[in-house]
Amino acid sequence: MPVRGSREGADLDEQTLLAPGAPPPGSFEGNGRGSHLLGGQRAAAVSTVSTVVFIGAVIALFVFAPGAAAVRHTFFNPQQMKEAFLGDPSKGLYSVGKGLILNIEMFLIAEVLILFFALVIAVLRQLRNPVLFPFRMLAVLYTDVFRGVPLIIVIYGIGFGAPALYIRGISTQSDFVYGIAALVLSYSAYVAEVYRAGINSVHQSQVAAARSLGLSQWKSLRFVVLPQAVRTVIPPLLNDFISLQKDTALVSTLGAVIEANRAAQIDSSTLFVYSSYTVAALLFLCLTIPLARFTDRLIARDVSRRLAGSGTVR
Amino acid sequence: MRKTIILAVFAVIGLGLTVLGSTPAPASTTKATVAALATKASSCSYKAIQPDLFKVGVLTVATDSPAYEPWFDNNTPSNGKGYESAVAYAVAKQLGFSKSQVKWTVEPFDASFAPGPKRFDFDINEISYTRDRATVVAFSVSYYDVQQALIALKSSRIVKHHTPADLRTYVYGDQIGSTSLAFINTELRPIHQPSVFNTLNDAKSALQDGRIQALVADTPTAQYISSSEIPNSVMVGQFPSTGEHYGLLFAKNDPLVACVNKAIDTLRANGTLAKFQKEYLGIYTSVPTIKP
Repeated sequence: MPVRGSREGADLDEQTLLAPGAPPPGSFEGNGRGSHLLGGQRAAAVSTVSTVVFIGAVIALFVFAPGAAAVRHTFFNPQQMKEAFLGDPSKGLYSVGKGLILNIEMFLIAEVLILFFALVIAVLRQLRNPVLFPFRMLAVLYTDVFRGVPLIIVIYGIGFGAPALYIRGISTQSDFVYGIAALVLSYSAYVAEVYRAGINSVHQSQVAAARSLGLSQWKSLRFVVLPQAVRTVIPPLLNDFISLQKDTALVSTLGAVIEANRAAQIDSSTLFVYSSYTVAALLFLCLTIPLARFTDRLIARDVSRRLAGSGTVR
Repeated sequence: MRKTIILAVFAVIGLGLTVLGSTPAPASTTKATVAALATKASSCSYKAIQPDLFKVGVLTVATDSPAYEPWFDNNTPSNGKGYESAVAYAVAKQLGFSKSQVKWTVEPFDASFAPGPKRFDFDINEISYTRDRATVVAFSVSYYDVQQALIALKSSRIVKHHTPADLRTYVYGDQIGSTSLAFINTELRPIHQPSVFNTLNDAKSALQDGRIQALVADTPTAQYISSSEIPNSVMVGQFPSTGEHYGLLFAKNDPLVACVNKAIDTLRANGTLAKFQKEYLGIYTSVPTIKP
């Protein structure tokens, strides 16, 4: 069974990635083996030419545009990109590379907290016990508010609001802590909804079966529903975390957290070039692309597993 | 299907050619401007500078919003009050523009040095000249020589204790993009990393809440903050000059720079700049100097 499943997955890859000229699934072209091969070769040739011409036109645009030299100097200056990556205190330049470590720290800490906190919210919303009604209402209110308010306002509100309150233990935290608190508050609202979608996707018959076996409502949630729900929502969860990786940059607005984007901003305004932003963008890509590919693989694996279980596919 | 692809390929080629075909036009205009510059350098008459303007018959002057006091008044650059507003109108007058021919436009600091055509004739926004910056944009000669100053809450330890060794021990904060931040890092060299805020207003509120112990800004701004904005704050003193100065910002190779420089030189020679400094920055004399 798994062999069959993985073949399906490979087919999918071939059609979408390896042969861009191949007819899309469900089209009338490519029916029958011979015409498929012929069409495939020709399409491949045409797509090659098309790709070369397209990329050539884009490159030509960058090389021959009247402002090309200025853009290269401003955005892609190798010397300044190197300086921005490493930083140079004697020139007042900050290191974008060092800043990225802060982004990664914030991301990792926030992620763990979000996964836990959001699950609690999602489960609270799911409980049907009348005694717990106020908690259910709070959970609804929470997701509504924090999904609706822009993250940057949440960050400002906590980072500038908490210290102004002069409360012991709360008002003296670092910007790093305030930033993570804001990220957790905002993202937990999204992730709680993702969890909830997963919980709702588990068929009612599963709960009925669990209850008929004598499991309590809580136990059927814990041992039957949640394991299935979480597995279903792993790809969308990872998608939210790709977004979280980038949004850690917003914490810099509080001042004390000089992460990659803020370091790039400072370097840019010191030298009047944007090469430091290019460095920051490349570094963020190095973070997000592996996670994106990993998500794709999980989705593909999930699809193949489901197809494997469903008997005849075509 | 195949036809569609071929059509698409031709469309792409066509698009590329159209874009490339259109490029020589702006390039030749630039050349013409440069040629004109050579012949016109001697003449700065109102008529002679018209081709160099962003908009003929109008002097387009840019600054950021909010425009801070005492450089501007009430975030309204067009009222002619505040040092930079007054200087801009005086320069305009030297070039032969009437007050109504000066048009103000908002240009965020970050955008002022972007490559590509500028949407203003010059930008006046407390921008310090540095050699690195001058490779990307053009600066006029100085219209104000800047010194950095230290602001703190009256209750702060820094008010009494600011020897060079003491100064390294405090937590500083500043606005992003300011040369004050570079000053903190290169001259004060504090042990704790300074906080960097999006705006000066964020830095001020951090000072009030005790999230930072001191703020560095140019002397007039520092005086204004301590005298009018944060009630329980004080300007501890100013640092000796590092030769820093504010210049008007132009597009690189803008032929207008030579004429504006001439105008500023005239304003300095005939005492206008000194008069404006007394009028708008006047309360800022006899400030104690501290050593970084």
